[in-house]
Amino acid sequence: MNNTFNIQRFGLLLKRQWLEFGKIYLITLAVALGVIVTFYSFSLWGYIAETKPFYERALNFREPLFLIFGFLFITVIASNYFAHLGQKPKAIIDLMIPASTFEKFLTGIFFTAILSTVSFIFIFYVTDLAFLAKLRSVYHSSSTRTSYTDAQGAVAIVVDNLAYFFSKNGPHVYKGLYIIPFFVTSIFLLGSIYFNKFHYIKTTISAMVFSGIWTAIIFKSGKLLFDNRTLINRMGNNGPAKDNVELCLALLLVLLTLIFWSITYVRLKEKQV
Amino acid sequence: MIKINNLNFGYRKNQLLFKNMSMQLSTGHIYGLLGKNGAGKSTLLKNIAGLVYADSGSMDVMGYDPSKRQPALLTEICFIPEEFYLPSIKIDAFVKANAAFYPNFDHPYFTALLAEFDIPVTQKLIDMSYGQKKKVIIAFGLATQAKLVIMDEPTNGLDIPSKAQFRKIMASALTEDRCIIISTHQVRDLDNLIDTVIMLDENSVALKASVEEITNRLCFKRVKELDDKVIYAEPSLAGYNAVMQNFHQEDSKLDLELLFNAVLAEKNKLKPIFN
Amino acid sequence: MEFRDNKAIYLQIAEYVCEHILLGKWNTDEKVPSVREMAVELEVNPNTVMRTYELLQNKNIINNKRGIGFFVADDAIANVKSYRKTQFMDDELPVVFRNVYLLNIGFDELESRYNTFVKETFNP
Repeated sequence: MNNTFNIQRFGLLLKRQWLEFGKIYLITLAVALGVIVTFYSFSLWGYIAETKPFYERALNFREPLFLIFGFLFITVIASNYFAHLGQKPKAIIDLMIPASTFEKFLTGIFFTAILSTVSFIFIFYVTDLAFLAKLRSVYHSSSTRTSYTDAQGAVAIVVDNLAYFFSKNGPHVYKGLYIIPFFVTSIFLLGSIYFNKFHYIKTTISAMVFSGIWTAIIFKSGKLLFDNRTLINRMGNNGPAKDNVELCLALLLVLLTLIFWSITYVRLKEKQV
Repeated sequence: MIKINNLNFGYRKNQLLFKNMSMQLSTGHIYGLLGKNGAGKSTLLKNIAGLVYADSGSMDVMGYDPSKRQPALLTEICFIPEEFYLPSIKIDAFVKANAAFYPNFDHPYFTALLAEFDIPVTQKLIDMSYGQKKKVIIAFGLATQAKLVIMDEPTNGLDIPSKAQFRKIMASALTEDRCIIISTHQVRDLDNLIDTVIMLDENSVALKASVEEITNRLCFKRVKELDDKVIYAEPSLAGYNAVMQNFHQEDSKLDLELLFNAVLAEKNKLKPIFN
Repeated sequence: MEFRDNKAIYLQIAEYVCEHILLGKWNTDEKVPSVREMAVELEVNPNTVMRTYELLQNKNIINNKRGIGFFVADDAIANVKSYRKTQFMDDELPVVFRNVYLLNIGFDELESRYNTFVKETFNP
């Protein structure tokens, strides 16, 4: 018997954890869906019912909603995952399940980093698609289009504002951001096993304190190192220096995520009841 | 099956619960683990199951180190804690989710055990009383066919008929290759079930002996008067219930409660008898 | 079966088996319950039952046919009687004698009591 990883046992464990947490998970997901739908309805109902004139500005709530609420959703899921290990009776059952610590840990990663992110993106995307499709069908007429005429007065270009909205935002997408969900959930997953009670609040406060201290250190040391010195930047804002910073930032995020995950693994291994 | 060597354990650094504890347990026995409150019965069981880690010393369970929590060992351990948790799903869903981890899980046996305990399979775990849940978890644990069965106060919360059912089930669960350890306060629930007594006191094993060894060396009987042969006695309706050394090869019935109190009160007199 | 307080469990089980043999519930060459069945029925440790069966084997009351189980021995009844007699003489009679002595009961009275008892119980 392989005592570290066995794909069949891992499958069984995923299934077991799903039976255990699936219900709560689905309820949380349903609540999230409800909140998103409510937000969209409140913001867009007037336009769909054609009681208000449509402006593109009306769609501006989408990014903040996605970011803030998505953050909340994945952190809540992550900070609950190992929370029950703080209760002796539940912890005993979990630790005695014949699967290796590594498998139990990987299951945690799967549910918190992957499944929660993917499912949130999915429900957000579906809601967004539904509302915007409806909106489009209402405003397919000229009100959402801006036409430009040439000198002869003929129509030269027609811009579909909604289509414009759907188009890709810019030429440069910072891929490092894709690591953010993993990074964020790794912090809250660690919090869920590190604390015995009030996991979310305690994790948030610790994260704030740590990042505060870190910022202070960076700021102070930066001041110490660079004050009264002249900045030499020959490349301008788009040179290789910027790419390096982006790469460093991405690597830093990956590194921190891995560190948080390994601490979580060690905590799980050392967990006693 | 279990080899404990110089085990030191404490929940706090300077306050040891076990000091240099050594013990060996073998298959084919039902061990009764006794001790005062706080003597460390549950803690010892958790050490064996790998739920807590020793400060020093070695623990060997079927050739594995339980603190590594390897699946190969975990499939061979059935651990019934005193306080336990079951999710709020139906019994068959619970079995479906958990039984597959145990390669030897015996489904017909599980059904038979539930029937013996009078528990309908379709019942939801959330609608059950503490005692019923306990019976489900005991039935599940035994059906895993684990070689090592550890039970912490299993009869707590069981009603009178269930206790009898429990004794029957445990009597049939003991096989040549199984080792059963039961900790209990309610010695009367289990005294005919236990074949070896382990008593914890003062950071260590105060007594570990089979019922046969105990009754070979000690005699439990009612006496009218106390004399110097009596090691320990408690007044009763007709004189005293006394423990004395068994000089005449008398076959008396082990009185666990009396033995327990005797070990606590007269440790020094009993020690040489068992060495 | 209710266990009494003062006698070792394995001996009480032995009595139980002997009782069954004497009463003709288990006859010669019949199989007696296996160790496990007996342990379950009486709610005791199988090792205790094993000890009983070893004792009864030594007294030639039951014998072990390898791989099949335990059977009532040929002259089990006679052996049970002699075993029970020793037990009675050693364990129970002294208690009776003690009371006979303490309460000043005469042997004549005992004898007449004994005769009525036998008449009432065994020859109805």
